Amino acid sequence: MPNLFLGVEGASVTFGQQDARVCALRDVSLSFEKGTLSLVTGPSGSGKTTLLSMLGCLLSPDEGSVFVDGVAVNGLSEAERTVIRQKKISFVFQAFRLFHSLSALDNVALGFEIRDPAAPGRKELALDLLLQFGLGDKLQQEPNELSPGEKQRVAIARALAGNPPILLADEPTASLDAEAGRNICQILRREVDEQGRTVVVVSHDPRWEKFADRTITLCDGRVEEEVAVL
Amino acid sequence: MKLALQNILHDRGRFSVTVLGVSFAVFLMVFQGSLLAGFLQAASRLIDASDTDIWITARGVQAFEFGTALESRVREMAAGVPGVMQTSRVCMAFAVYRTPIGKQQVVALVGADPNVGKRFPVPDAPESAEKMSPDAVLYDVSDRKQIEVAALPAEVEINRHRASIEREIQGYGAFLGVPFLFTSYRNAIRYLDFRSDQAVYILLRTDRRYPLSQIQQSLKQKLPEVDVLTRDEFAHKSRMYWTIKTGAGGAILTAAVLGFLIGLVVVSQTIYANTMENLEEYATLKALGAPQAFVARIVLAQALICGAVGSVLGLLAVVPSINYAKSLIPWIHAPWWLPAAMVVPSLAMCSLASIVSVRSALTVEPGRVFRA
Ligand SMILES: Nc1ncnc2c1ncn2[C@@H]1O[C@H](COP(=O)(O)OP(=O)(O)O)[C@@H](O)[C@H]1O
Ligand SMILES: [Mg+2]
Repeated sequence: MPNLFLGVEGASVTFGQQDARVCALRDVSLSFEKGTLSLVTGPSGSGKTTLLSMLGCLLSPDEGSVFVDGVAVNGLSEAERTVIRQKKISFVFQAFRLFHSLSALDNVALGFEIRDPAAPGRKELALDLLLQFGLGDKLQQEPNELSPGEKQRVAIARALAGNPPILLADEPTASLDAEAGRNICQILRREVDEQGRTVVVVSHDPRWEKFADRTITLCDGRVEEEVAVL
Repeated sequence: MKLALQNILHDRGRFSVTVLGVSFAVFLMVFQGSLLAGFLQAASRLIDASDTDIWITARGVQAFEFGTALESRVREMAAGVPGVMQTSRVCMAFAVYRTPIGKQQVVALVGADPNVGKRFPVPDAPESAEKMSPDAVLYDVSDRKQIEVAALPAEVEINRHRASIEREIQGYGAFLGVPFLFTSYRNAIRYLDFRSDQAVYILLRTDRRYPLSQIQQSLKQKLPEVDVLTRDEFAHKSRMYWTIKTGAGGAILTAAVLGFLIGLVVVSQTIYANTMENLEEYATLKALGAPQAFVARIVLAQALICGAVGSVLGLLAVVPSINYAKSLIPWIHAPWWLPAAMVVPSLAMCSLASIVSVRSALTVEPGRVFRA
């Protein structure tokens, strides 16, 4: 059987010792096709974030395998996993996690710098991305001067810097109002359709359902339901 | 690297404290360094001013200021050693000085033959451009207050002998707290009631065709009851006496080290606080794929920026301070390379101070980015 493009096979994750032991994922197998937007949903504590951490090379499963861009990544060293993150994966967070002291433009430019410190023209590339996201008038603003929706767009621009094939988002719209949330949904959908990016969104937000190619529901660390949208 | 700079600029208050800590350390290190350099220089100034090769001193003399008289025959015997071309006499002893208005005080009187060296202050040196009487007495400008002469020449008394102060010189101020007076050798022995040809130091000029060490060896054999030192050896001995045996050097260095330590503590505290505050951002950097070296560089750069700015401010403050201090401590001396050289310990201090912070930034788990 060929390796998955992105996914987990028989993955189990536990946290803590003895009495405090929590089984976050139990024998989960999931595959995410290239160029699709998958929604992972489920009640709080069901293991969604844990799944995303594994796909993002931030966490190794106790058992099972993780594949990123067709490569089995569990068993790699921390430095090797960092390189995979650097080249292939980017993240969008509920809390944005922008660098507080940098302007919008510098946040995105730093995204480019991390992916390829030697590449020239970071500022120009960052400017292009922000213009695409309608942030042309907020370039020099610092994060605390931006609205939540603008922050998340800057964060997505930073994530897309350097053109990584995979984008993982944990509750990207949970801190946003309806309007800004829909905007983010549209942006990520467009990345899938136009750039062929592979996007995994973890969210409670039902709005995502009509933007996703597939919805996976987790419960108690197991896959409860998988629904493909046609 | 912009992140490093912006992080610093974003926390102006803390940045100011850090920079102040560094400038304080640099200030203290340069100031104390100048005290030490000046002290060392002053401790052997008259020895260095001679251009003779060998100094003969009474056994066990530790410093120029504390010589005791040699026997007269030493000079004749030294002159007879092969390779010795010329001898000169220096005497130095404490004397009682009476100002023109009759106030008394102790001075150190130095008398030397005119051929001791071009830079050695004597009234009868052959090159002496402005004519003065061969028995004139000179004093250093830094001792003007204690000498108390209104106009030159001035009639004074030294050990109850009449003397004429004729010239103010510069650069021979002493750190003993006792003014130095300079005059010719034959005049000095008169004031000091030495026998003719008696001296405290016999200085020798040697023939370059003989190895200096060989001449020194022969002198030692011929004159076993005195010390035969090259000029540099005696200068070194004098400096060691004043800095190490008196403990003065230790005191000066302790203050410099204290400055370094205080700077170290201040900088490490503020850099650490800043790192802890930005720990989540370091985790984000790592999650986004920044290698460890990238993260370490940012923390280190923050410390070094503080170090560089603090050093510049410290130097800007210390240079005028040293110039001002010259009026109170005439022998303080900052060699040109000293302020520049102190930037090295200051940057080392900042790097050292950031070690703990770099470690915390490196050990933060990128996996925490998804936890609230
Ligand atoms: N680092 C951790 N240490 C201990 N327990 C954890 C950790 N991360 C997650 N858990 C536990 O694992 C379970 C699944 O967590 P998570 O994947 O965050 O769920 P979700 O994102 O679906 O809310 C929860 O019970 C949570 O308390
Ligand atoms: Mg979660």
